[in-house]
Amino acid sequence: MITLSISKFTLKLNGLATASRLITLLFILPIILGLVGTLLPAFDFLPALSHYQFSLKPWFSLFESPELWGSIKLTLLSGLLASFISFVIAFATISVFYESRWLISIRNTLAPILAIPHAAIAIGLVFILSPSGWIVRLLSPWLTDYERPPTWISVQDPYGLSLVLALVVKETPYLLFVILASLEQIKTCELIKVGTSMGYARIAVWRKVILPILYPLIRLPLLVILAFSLTVVDLSLVIGPNTPSTFAVTLFHWFNDTDLDMRFTASAGAVLLMFIILLSALCWEALYQIFVLFDRRRWCNGKRTSLLTPIFHGAAFTYLVSMLLAVLSLIVLPIWTFTHRWRFPDILPTSWSFKKIEQLAPLLFELACVSLVIAFASTLLALCISILMLEQKRTLPNSTRWFDRFIYLPIILPQVGFLFGIQVFLIWSNNSGSLLAVIGLHLLYVLPYVYLTLSGPYLAFNQSFYRQAVCLTKRPWHSFLQVKLAMLKPALFSAFALGIAVSFAQYLPTLTAGEGRINTLTTEAVALAASGERKKVGNMAMLQALFPLIIFMLAQWLPRVWTQYRLKLAKMITHK
Amino acid sequence: MLKVKDCHLSIAGTPLVSELSFEIDNGQVLTLMGPSGCGKSSLLNYLSGTLETGFEAKGCIELNQKRIDTLCTQNRNVGILYQTPLLFPHMTNLENLLFAIDAKQQGLTSANKKKLAMSKLAELGLETKANNLPNSLSGGQQARIALLRTLLSSPDYLLLDEPFSKLDPELRQSVRRFTLEQIQKANIPTLLVTHDEDDFTAMGGELIQMQNLSNHF
Repeated sequence: MITLSISKFTLKLNGLATASRLITLLFILPIILGLVGTLLPAFDFLPALSHYQFSLKPWFSLFESPELWGSIKLTLLSGLLASFISFVIAFATISVFYESRWLISIRNTLAPILAIPHAAIAIGLVFILSPSGWIVRLLSPWLTDYERPPTWISVQDPYGLSLVLALVVKETPYLLFVILASLEQIKTCELIKVGTSMGYARIAVWRKVILPILYPLIRLPLLVILAFSLTVVDLSLVIGPNTPSTFAVTLFHWFNDTDLDMRFTASAGAVLLMFIILLSALCWEALYQIFVLFDRRRWCNGKRTSLLTPIFHGAAFTYLVSMLLAVLSLIVLPIWTFTHRWRFPDILPTSWSFKKIEQLAPLLFELACVSLVIAFASTLLALCISILMLEQKRTLPNSTRWFDRFIYLPIILPQVGFLFGIQVFLIWSNNSGSLLAVIGLHLLYVLPYVYLTLSGPYLAFNQSFYRQAVCLTKRPWHSFLQVKLAMLKPALFSAFALGIAVSFAQYLPTLTAGEGRINTLTTEAVALAASGERKKVGNMAMLQALFPLIIFMLAQWLPRVWTQYRLKLAKMITHK
Repeated sequence: MLKVKDCHLSIAGTPLVSELSFEIDNGQVLTLMGPSGCGKSSLLNYLSGTLETGFEAKGCIELNQKRIDTLCTQNRNVGILYQTPLLFPHMTNLENLLFAIDAKQQGLTSANKKKLAMSKLAELGLETKANNLPNSLSGGQQARIALLRTLLSSPDYLLLDEPFSKLDPELRQSVRRFTLEQIQKANIPTLLVTHDEDDFTAMGGELIQMQNLSNHF
């Protein structure tokens, strides 16, 4: 009997190991195909377009392009500036508000802001910051004398400053989230007490003690933000500069050029963009090390006060302003949705109407359904895969090392180049334009976030509960579902909500795999953003923001009331 | 001398500590013992000025006849030691000690400051490890350096929150002895919170046995 159960157990473990290997392979394969599919055309090799010989032509064509250097300059400026400002604001905010009531309020606002897709926030910001936007309306005509919108350029400005602002508004909450999670790994409260008890000002303790300990823990998320800021397409299309645009947007236009030869130049550009990311990451890290080298002397100079205190307070205040902008940009979306007439400089519409939303209802319903189907399918798949991989990792920690290494790649690699490589494969395998392909590509981006969110709580789960349940019931699957997964409900719900939000935000993966035949709220909203049809765009962006927000709120609320409602239901059934 | 008068601590209306008064002379150690949840750590936080939001405190703390409970932690000149040594992992052992010295207040030049820190390391026989990171030290060595670091900031009183509980039983005795020596040398009042009666025996002084919701001397 004992032999039998041991062999059964070994069989199950082997099954799990095989499944995890297969998943790793299926996850790594598209990444490699994407990379190869971009790298080969960069050297003029693409049999599908009858290019069979390697050459450097795409590179010559790339370097001859008049847009190149302007695009790269803008990309570096906006990407590095946005990442640096987000980091400074996030760190200063935590330093100033840590252990205060304010931090609880800040923490509570993080999830909703994180849930809302970048494009929706960007569209809202355009509605607020543009010359005919809310801010100018609020100040006109009593302060500005403007009876008509001014002619200045406050969004899509040539320096990319509005893009930097949009990135900061969206990335700072993510960094705050990451920093708060990392601070739980170090004895932050005690370290602050030790420092302040020696007479150091709080900000001095944060700079001299906490920052050097914290930085290694948030290095990877910072690099993810840097890579994202350098390569983002949808946000740049909505609020970024046009002539020239950022390099990722330029590449996006080249990839979609009717002249197929531009795809070779675009591929070379995508490879160059990868080098730019790598170089920027190295520069970022080198600058930090240089900063540490000079700052090290100040760590133990004994000075208890910090001259940076007012700067930290200013940066923390900036966070509150950026959150106000985010909230306003979300409020303005439904306002435009129900607007009939809204002339400048009126603060609110003079007449309201359901006409536009009625007209758009069939389209919105269709787009919402497609978005939800893709989001639910990719997130549920991601959850199942994550649970399976984490179960395997718990059993044999080393067995998922390849998966763990590759999981970050889709987030770090520039979507614009890497996805073109996958598109080549999708066309070759006759899968391009199918719903399945879109779900598959969304999964590539949803899985890393779901896996990373779930891994901490899943691996920290006290396995004794499960073992106890198996001993009592003799039913491993029942125990797994009724005890382990039930106890991990809050983490599972959070990971699910995050997965939905990530899927809703995907623009390029949907365009690449869907080939324009499958549209979501995000692809339509971004495509219409430049059209000037504010009512239509407002509708799309509002729904784009609304669904992830509802699911995030449900994910926070449901685990809290689940047991309470389950017990009430059980009581009702027993009474009957 | 550290004097606590009529200390009341409560959280959300639930009393944790009531009518607690005690005095600690310079160079003396007062030990605080009691079951979990009786308010030992909260009392320590009250004394260090780090009581978390939600707690309510009444009473008076006097240090050398000056009221200090209205001051923030930064201005109380208090030394705190926890279960873990909390040596800053990004600084060398020497830098950890230098961090604590306020050269301006103590009238030291930067060369003298370094000399002072090195002499403290030499007391422990660790001068060769001055430029190493704290993770190169054993648990006992880390505990000793943490104590020296705290004392180098010239605190007016010392709060010890179970500082020996994470040490091996063999190490514990020698670290206790070292701690008592240093406290007597610094001649400052010290409050020790512990679960271990041996700590009280080793450190001498008086004992307050706390209980949930009430205190008995």
